[in-house]
Amino acid sequence: MTSTMEPAAEQRELPETRDRREFLATRRRTVAVELTMTVLTVAVAVLIAFLVVLATGKDAGGALDALLTGPLERTPRIGRWLADATTLSLLGLSVAIPFRARQISLGAEGQVYAGALASALVAINLHLPPVAAVLVPLGAAALAGGALGAVPGVMKARLGANEIVATLMLNAVVVRVFDYLLTDHLKAPGSSAVQSAPVRPDSALPLLSNFFEVPLDQANIGLFGMLAVAAAVWFLLARTPLGYRIRVTGSNPDFARYGGLDVPRTIEWSFVIGGALAGLAGAHLALGIYGGLQPDMAGGLAFEGIVVALLGRNNPVGVVAAALLYSYLRVGGDVMEQQTDVGSDAVTIIQAVIVLLVTARALPELVKRYLARREAR
Amino acid sequence: MGSVLDVVLSTAFFAAILGVSTPYVLAALGGLLAERAGVPNIALEGSMLSAACAGALVAGYSGSVWAGAVCGIAAGSLLALLLGVLHLYLGADAIIAGIGLNLLAAGATSYTVFALLGDKGGTSRLHSGALPSLRLPLIEDIPGVGAVLSGQNVLTWAALAATPVVAWLLYRTRFGFHLRAVGEHPEAARSVGIHVHRVQFRALALSGALAGAAGVFLSMGAVSFFVTGMTAGRGYIALAAVFLGALRPWGVFLAALGFGTAEALAVQLGNLDVPGQLVSAIPYVFTLLALAFFAWRRRRASRTDAAPAPLTGPPVLESP
Repeated sequence: MTSTMEPAAEQRELPETRDRREFLATRRRTVAVELTMTVLTVAVAVLIAFLVVLATGKDAGGALDALLTGPLERTPRIGRWLADATTLSLLGLSVAIPFRARQISLGAEGQVYAGALASALVAINLHLPPVAAVLVPLGAAALAGGALGAVPGVMKARLGANEIVATLMLNAVVVRVFDYLLTDHLKAPGSSAVQSAPVRPDSALPLLSNFFEVPLDQANIGLFGMLAVAAAVWFLLARTPLGYRIRVTGSNPDFARYGGLDVPRTIEWSFVIGGALAGLAGAHLALGIYGGLQPDMAGGLAFEGIVVALLGRNNPVGVVAAALLYSYLRVGGDVMEQQTDVGSDAVTIIQAVIVLLVTARALPELVKRYLARREAR
Repeated sequence: MGSVLDVVLSTAFFAAILGVSTPYVLAALGGLLAERAGVPNIALEGSMLSAACAGALVAGYSGSVWAGAVCGIAAGSLLALLLGVLHLYLGADAIIAGIGLNLLAAGATSYTVFALLGDKGGTSRLHSGALPSLRLPLIEDIPGVGAVLSGQNVLTWAALAATPVVAWLLYRTRFGFHLRAVGEHPEAARSVGIHVHRVQFRALALSGALAGAAGVFLSMGAVSFFVTGMTAGRGYIALAAVFLGALRPWGVFLAALGFGTAEALAVQLGNLDVPGQLVSAIPYVFTLLALAFFAWRRRRASRTDAAPAPLTGPPVLESP
């Protein structure tokens, strides 16, 4: 009998306390493993690109040096890094929310253009008092992006339409409408290049270099706005009923349905919120980076948001960290192209390898099995 | 308005439609094969791009357009097979892996072009030539049709021929029967001894080859050089044609032809002061509406007999 008796201190501990402790310990372990895996993934991707560059007979060492140390060498590069990370974080968050509800939204591209268009239209045409001059265009961008997100959201949630095709089609439509409006109606009079009139100075996002007295290129207070948005997304997912519904719908849709959660409505909201965030990314491009509208201003950024969301494991903190890492590589790629004979496209290869390694979920298992077999031999 | 009709009803315009539609038809048929085998192939875009690049480079360096075409098609096929390895053996999500492969194709093609030729824009300084156009003596003499078809590129002819061939393959051969079985119910197919992964791999190889032919047409048919990013989202449009065509060969062919028509129309109307961008957006609006309509009809049909299709796919990634 005495052998089964537990010490007095342990007896007084509530089972809930013990569960909580075990849960936290497990979570700490998982986070540590995930972090290691992420760093390993990026390292492997960089290594593969390094080997590709080496194989094509270029100065791989110099290229790697430029890629990894270049962005920190001059303050304007740091500024470009932070500005790029702001856009990418917003895009990553916009993709991560539908991802958490197990929805694949590829609509960020159209939503970025819609957000840029809405914010620029307000910022070019409306006289507003100082602070509202920044906030109203941002609100317009979020609304436009959210409205655009609602279309595939409703189609998916109410009709069961394929959200991938729906978002791709909507992108194709919006990009063309944007192009039409820009070339035929918004082109600045007297300008030979296809671009809109600049936004009013009051509406441009204030540059960080005004506060820090060092040249920081286009980095602007959008950076802090983005951090606030990331915190809000964390709060939404972790601390609100809607966030709970999104997480349950994503992790166990059957449980969500039998538990009486309104799964279609949850899916719709995940698309709308994702769209609003992508719209904000568009506003950051229009009001912060370009100060107006330009053709092809989003480039391939929308798909890179997916990479960032994947790399950040759809977790708000992870997404911001991944965006910082990722845009560091993008800026480094540009430096590499300037300083060596290696094209910045090597960075695109790194990005692609990252996506493929992250999504190949069975890969770590296969590697582990292979190592075990070798050890047994 | 008279001038618009003149342009639209001319044989030159119909000939242009066929040319513009060729990459859509070929890639969409490729997408169809993969989709029917149960693997959504979003890497069509990447297959097209890598095929366009490989084709122009090999043709330019070897001097033989046919060697270029073969290598291009092989490159497209290879990328689709890579999707197969990632999805079927490494447990990757097919959509995410497809996006990754498209990124890989974009990066690898422009990196290669820059490394070989020192030009970020494309291979225009490499005189790679184009595949020949074909004049068939009998068809050329048919009034009306002859003028449209005659002098079309070899690959346009291939696109026209590919639709009945794919239909025959899907519905009249043992392989096509297995392919559809695997796509509709893999467990059932496995239980009667069909090698599911093998069938899916073959479907993907064919899918990538067709998308590769589409890419080769872009760089060695429509023009005779490769431009970085020259596919410009055509692979994604082809994927939409697969769904708009209700997953049937002739439906897919018509949908792809519709996209091609709208694009050709946009180019023509651009000269006539009609906003071409809006005209070219019409088929995508139409696809959205059709997508909603099909889904609504399916949902209404399923409400009476079976449970509706699940709203959620596999988890995109578990987070800690």
